[in-house]
Amino acid sequence: MESGLSSLLSVSIDFETSHLFFPRIIHWTLAGLFAVILVTRVLPFLAAVTRGERTLPIVGERMDGLRFFGTLALIVAYFYLMTVVGDIFPYTGYGFLFVSMAFVFLMSLMYMHEWTKKSVTIVVINAVVAPSLAWYVLAKLFTITLP
Amino acid sequence: MEFLSLLDITFFLLAGFGALVGIIFGAIPGMTATMAVAVCLPLTYALGLHHGLALLLGLYVGGISGGMVPAVLLNIPGTPSSITTTFDGYPMARKGEGEKALKVCVIASVVGGLVSAAVLFLFAPMLADFSIKFSYVEKFLIILLALSVIASLSSSMLIGIFSGVIGIWLSLIGDYSISDGGNGKTRLMFDFMEPYLFEGFSLLPVLIGIFGISTILLEAEKGVKSDTANERIKIGKGSHFSLSIFKGRMTNLMRSSFIGTFVGMLPGVGGSAASVLAYTQEKNLARDSSEMGKGAPQGLIASESANNALTGGALIPLLSLGIPGDSTTAVLIGAFTLQGIQVGPLFIPENPETWYVMMTALVFANIVMFFLMFYAIKHIAKVVMVPKHILYPIIVMMCVVGAYAINYGIMFDVWTLLIFGILGYLVQKVGLEVAPLIIGFILGSQAEIYFVKSLESFGTFSIFFTKSPIAVVLWLLILASVIFSIVMGFKSRAREKMELTQISGSTQTDSGKRHDTNSR
Amino acid sequence: MTVSKKTLAGLSSAVVMASMTFGAGVAMAQDGPLRGNIRVVIGSTSTGGDTYQNSTIVVDKLAEQLDLNMKVDAVGASSAFRTLDRDSRGNTLMIFHDQSYLGYLYGVEGYDNIFEKYTVGPTVAINPGNAYLVPKNSPYETLNDIIEAVGNGEEVRVAIQPGGVSEIGFSALKNAISIEHPGQEDNLVAVNTGSQSDKNQQLFDGQADLINGTVQANEQYTRLPEDDQKAMRFVWLTARQDTIEQAPEEGLGQTTREQLLEYVEPNVHVTMGDDETFTFDKEFFFLYNKDMDPAIVDQIDEALTEIYAEGEIQEVQKNSFFIPNFKPSDEASEYLQEKMSRYEEIIENIQ
Repeated sequence: MESGLSSLLSVSIDFETSHLFFPRIIHWTLAGLFAVILVTRVLPFLAAVTRGERTLPIVGERMDGLRFFGTLALIVAYFYLMTVVGDIFPYTGYGFLFVSMAFVFLMSLMYMHEWTKKSVTIVVINAVVAPSLAWYVLAKLFTITLP
Repeated sequence: MEFLSLLDITFFLLAGFGALVGIIFGAIPGMTATMAVAVCLPLTYALGLHHGLALLLGLYVGGISGGMVPAVLLNIPGTPSSITTTFDGYPMARKGEGEKALKVCVIASVVGGLVSAAVLFLFAPMLADFSIKFSYVEKFLIILLALSVIASLSSSMLIGIFSGVIGIWLSLIGDYSISDGGNGKTRLMFDFMEPYLFEGFSLLPVLIGIFGISTILLEAEKGVKSDTANERIKIGKGSHFSLSIFKGRMTNLMRSSFIGTFVGMLPGVGGSAASVLAYTQEKNLARDSSEMGKGAPQGLIASESANNALTGGALIPLLSLGIPGDSTTAVLIGAFTLQGIQVGPLFIPENPETWYVMMTALVFANIVMFFLMFYAIKHIAKVVMVPKHILYPIIVMMCVVGAYAINYGIMFDVWTLLIFGILGYLVQKVGLEVAPLIIGFILGSQAEIYFVKSLESFGTFSIFFTKSPIAVVLWLLILASVIFSIVMGFKSRAREKMELTQISGSTQTDSGKRHDTNSR
Repeated sequence: MTVSKKTLAGLSSAVVMASMTFGAGVAMAQDGPLRGNIRVVIGSTSTGGDTYQNSTIVVDKLAEQLDLNMKVDAVGASSAFRTLDRDSRGNTLMIFHDQSYLGYLYGVEGYDNIFEKYTVGPTVAINPGNAYLVPKNSPYETLNDIIEAVGNGEEVRVAIQPGGVSEIGFSALKNAISIEHPGQEDNLVAVNTGSQSDKNQQLFDGQADLINGTVQANEQYTRLPEDDQKAMRFVWLTARQDTIEQAPEEGLGQTTREQLLEYVEPNVHVTMGDDETFTFDKEFFFLYNKDMDPAIVDQIDEALTEIYAEGEIQEVQKNSFFIPNFKPSDEASEYLQEKMSRYEEIIENIQ
């Protein structure tokens, strides 16, 4: 009995494939849990959707499409252009500085509901000052590498 | 008392200045204590060892403490170890108790910091000997214990565990790192991803992506409503802070401080595990923990006292074994090597002056941190008064800086922000839970290494039970934690049912971090 | 001693201060081919480690000499190679050590043949500290005891970090055993583990009989009393004898150069066959993008030649227990290639 148990518990891990050992356990756990959730949660939920009692997440909800997708697009453009501009002035942080100014400005405008002269002025000032300050303190004073 | 001659005005000014700069770094989402210490490390050339250490220890203490500010006010952990602060801090802030929450945090922090400093001073060499009793097996069990919080943290245990396992899965992406003793091979990805994902996703960008960027996405989806909306945080509208909050919480405070010190002391068990573990234990052991996760000060006390206690704890192996206890002390070790000072088991006996100087700096930095923060909180809390259309772009910008700088300039870390921002958004939309997922992510890779390495060494699963008395104790704790969460699960379900029958209206709790639309 | 250290610290601090205060704007004063801000990526993610320490010493001097803004970034091997791949303008340089080609020899993912993919730049210093240690109460007095014991069929477990600098000594030892006691080499078992603390822990746990370590990190452990669980003893330093001979006479900590010399060749003999003794010096050198302007290679060579001629950098390096070892690019490339082929043989032999 005892030797049976210890042989059951014994395990030998080949170093060459040891990177797959733990992920395999996690995969099985995930699959098992997912099956349970599918049966106990997702199927009843979908049934409720077809009966019209519940709505699907995301697709079935009201959303401010302009601001949501605008945010995504702006962030993608921001990250991408930062590298591109930064590459023109290697390791000066100018890529971060200039593109951040544009980003902060555009995102602020997009999120603002009422555009008044005063609020736009504040946005412009913020868009210039905030990135400059961050850039000066971090890239210049602390010599942190920025894009 | 020879060392007193080494303490001059400059010394104290530097420690205080360090605490201030550290708080600012910690308070900016994306900037961490580690980063603060790293960027100031070159300055220590100029300052000499003792003055340099004063500055760096100030930064360390300040940086860890500063993390509470965005955690409470913006739901973005300022440093990885303040993640559990968001669980209760942000709900409190939404109830208009931001200032109160921060004050609780500050007091918990200073107590944690001072307790750990005392432990460091009195018991460092002894504890170092104790810490080496923890081999891979025991470290794995510690991680498992911290992971057990997942079960009790979530509103639905099944969903919570599932989210946690997804987090672990995400943490395994990348290579099985050679620097941890792995074989350096990559898994869970396609070949074309290798140039970017070789080292997997880094913790900090994941954290600020999933908390910061996804919060902004969720807001954007709702149209970034103007600031008069009633969900805005009203400073001081809620109940006020008074010391009586700590009444009956002394056990929690002390327990969490010791847990923090202890986790900090174990090399290789990351700092963020400290606050998670303290939070778990408070949840399990407190008489009434039903409000935790919905805005209970006891959660803040556990989280913040533990993460500040980390500072003293992490210095124990550094100064008595020459081994850093967390990522910040790993940078701190540079201050010694750059000055040609060896740290190792004989550091304290051979450099008593430096040792006393460090203790002075540590205690002083904690005190400065306390006064700076306690009296500045009223003003700091005003961050939330800044209109969202100004605040959000700046948060994104600072997250970018933090993500880019954490590994000294890697662009993929910035894209990680977006990837996990979107993931965090989706996860919350389909009703999974963010907190268990992120805890799984934080602890997952360590769990793997300790688990696989234990089996490699001993070749049998039974070693996890038979290795040492410490292992047995840890199993008992894990067992208690699991049983507790099951019992709690039943209780809360029963309560919910009762409420449902009483009022057929919505029982949705206003918990801020949960946007579950369908998991109820 | 302390005075000179202070002056040196002062000098280097002046450099830091200067680069911080006058660093505003892109430095435009240069006349050489190297322009703008220069980033030096290193193959380690640690800012407390030897690669970072050594790189800062060299880069600070270089920045001063060339009047450029230069910054060391600890991005780690895989990211460092990738960053270097992308920039052929010379704004990105890399400093790394023997791991760069040992990783390739051991077939670690993410490492390519540096001699084909990059231009190998000048060597700057040696870290002579690569060491092997046993518990203080170990039955093995010397490395020779271990070789004999393994040769007699005893199993000896060695804690190393696989795939590079930490493994090469182990491979050489294994190779030596296969030469002296053919067929017995499999009794030398690698315990694959990670950081220095993990390796130490294996020793404390009794899961390893011999560990790889460094003089810098383990010296204090060797001075603990024997009844301390943590006490260790050096049995082997892989450095060449004349490398250690260049170390400061007071050695490191309380261990003098004299004492350190006991653990290097010829006192410790790890054969490579044909009377040759295996040695390994961990050397730091520059790596450049293959398409970078060769004029920049020359410019850095010249600047370093001048810096080393002044003689000050050697003092700074020695103070931090590095052995100055400047070789201009061409010489360094040839030398390292030869070094690599020697180790390649060892690794092939034991496979």
